[in-house]
Amino acid sequence: MLEALVLATVFCGFFGIIFKKNLIMKIVCMDVMSTGVIAYYVVVASRSGWLTPIISKGKNVAYADPVPQAVILTAIVIGFSIQALMLVSVMKLARDNPTLESNEIEMNNTP
Amino acid sequence: MNTLTIAWIGLPFFVGFSIYLIPKLDKYLAIFGAIASAAYAFQLFAMPSAVTLELLDNFSVTLLVDRLSGYFILTNALVTAAVIIYCWPTDKTAFFYAQILMVHGSLNAAFASTDFISLYVGLEVSGIAAFLLIAYARTDRSIWVALRYLFISNTAMLFYLVGAVLVYKASNSFSFAGLGAAPPEAIALIFMGLLVKGGVFVSGLWLPLTHSESETPVSALLSGIVVKAGVYPLVRCALMVEEVAPIVQIFGVGAAFMGVFYGIFEKDTKRMLAFSTVSQLGWILVAPEVGGFYALAHGLVKSALFLIAGSLPSRDFKELQQKQINTTLWIALVVASLSISGFPFLVGFGAKMLTLKNLTPAYAIAMNVAAVGTAILFAKFIFLPRGGQTAAKPGFWPAVLLLLGGLIAANAFDVQAYTLENMLKAIAIIGVGWLAYFLIFQRTAIKLPRMLEQFDHLVGFMSLISLLLFWIALPK
Repeated sequence: MLEALVLATVFCGFFGIIFKKNLIMKIVCMDVMSTGVIAYYVVVASRSGWLTPIISKGKNVAYADPVPQAVILTAIVIGFSIQALMLVSVMKLARDNPTLESNEIEMNNTP
Repeated sequence: MNTLTIAWIGLPFFVGFSIYLIPKLDKYLAIFGAIASAAYAFQLFAMPSAVTLELLDNFSVTLLVDRLSGYFILTNALVTAAVIIYCWPTDKTAFFYAQILMVHGSLNAAFASTDFISLYVGLEVSGIAAFLLIAYARTDRSIWVALRYLFISNTAMLFYLVGAVLVYKASNSFSFAGLGAAPPEAIALIFMGLLVKGGVFVSGLWLPLTHSESETPVSALLSGIVVKAGVYPLVRCALMVEEVAPIVQIFGVGAAFMGVFYGIFEKDTKRMLAFSTVSQLGWILVAPEVGGFYALAHGLVKSALFLIAGSLPSRDFKELQQKQINTTLWIALVVASLSISGFPFLVGFGAKMLTLKNLTPAYAIAMNVAAVGTAILFAKFIFLPRGGQTAAKPGFWPAVLLLLGGLIAANAFDVQAYTLENMLKAIAIIGVGWLAYFLIFQRTAIKLPRMLEQFDHLVGFMSLISLLLFWIALPK
């Protein structure tokens, strides 16, 4: 069930990238998609348990798998920096194309 | 060797960030980074066996460097060095050189890693640095081309990440070897990401616009080495996991034909070179065992061709046929074109023959036809009129001579190819190609539609390609 919801998020983002006309909306959709992917890693990590994987004196508990969580942290940082770069370039493009419609920009800038 | 490997991966980043601290030394530091990689690559060729590194147990980073990665690393070093030399007399800022080293370093990391996450980081960092290089001119068009590149590669890499976690689910490790036990959807998603990143087959249709609208040195860097970062892992996976090798080969043949088909009808020099890149990437994939050598041959020749095309008086083939180009420039152009068409005594010949030798008969016939197509493409360059007087830019000759020298010197890697039979075959392929050029293609004026290169279609094709990959991977 959780998995299905997460994958639905990914697809919502993906179709948004295709069907939204505005460049900012496309970038937001990409963020939605990457949120879905991140959530999927968290879902996979929780296969073996829910608890934080910290060694303690307590009993042996069912803790979450730390590897996917650690890995996705890197991907979050990369995704965030890419997002920042894209928004900066959209700001630059907005000066000459104030409506930011992607097909207009594409037409103006393709030989 | 283990310490050396880790130091070598870190070095370009260290040197790259040092450029920001000492901007006066930018060019010297940048060329030092490239030379260090070349030295490391030669060290690899001298090693008897592969170096395997497993950092932090089997959960995370695994590195593997052997002869195959050696070829890719050497290509990376030579192309980077040539681009830096080409830019030497220009007034490029320290920022530009720092980004070149970032691209160089992240590609090195991608060529050494054998797990999906280190590879992901390498590919994404190279994507960001390439974005900054493409947008360096700060014009609207360069920003749009760069944004489009980053957007497409990042979307593809998101699918790739889903595939990577599916592999982890199946085998509790991110290593390439886990692909054997992974479900077909994992293979489909990961390969789709890599095909887009590497610009192979239909997923590579973003490549012509990006590579042709960038500045000359940046196109040389992109076509020479950056796309190889997407191709290398495909080759590595095909070698490590036998089941996926046929998938990689089919896409290789498809790419070889698609690139040639689009390239033949192209009227613009840089776009034609970009389509030829698509087709040559197919050659690397079709015979994974010897793909490294082909990557070296192609990287050198394609960056040389992009640098030369940047010095031609026009980008339009029609206009070029009316003008005369400088004779020395024309000789360089002919040497590079002959190498990529597979003429003996240049490395393209050895690479083509070695690839053809490693194929099953059915594939070999197909690839011979593709080779004729390449000869047709480059006949367009060879038969341009010469005798003009335009001088080249100051940094041009050292860079091109380095690359062309590499084309001849790299023959040493494969001397067995020089049999009479092979040479006759190569000359026959070129002859057929040139004949076809004179009889048919010189006069054609067909213009292929560029609709598929629109942004929305490029993103849409990702879903189609992953479906296609899923159906191919399903029966195994």
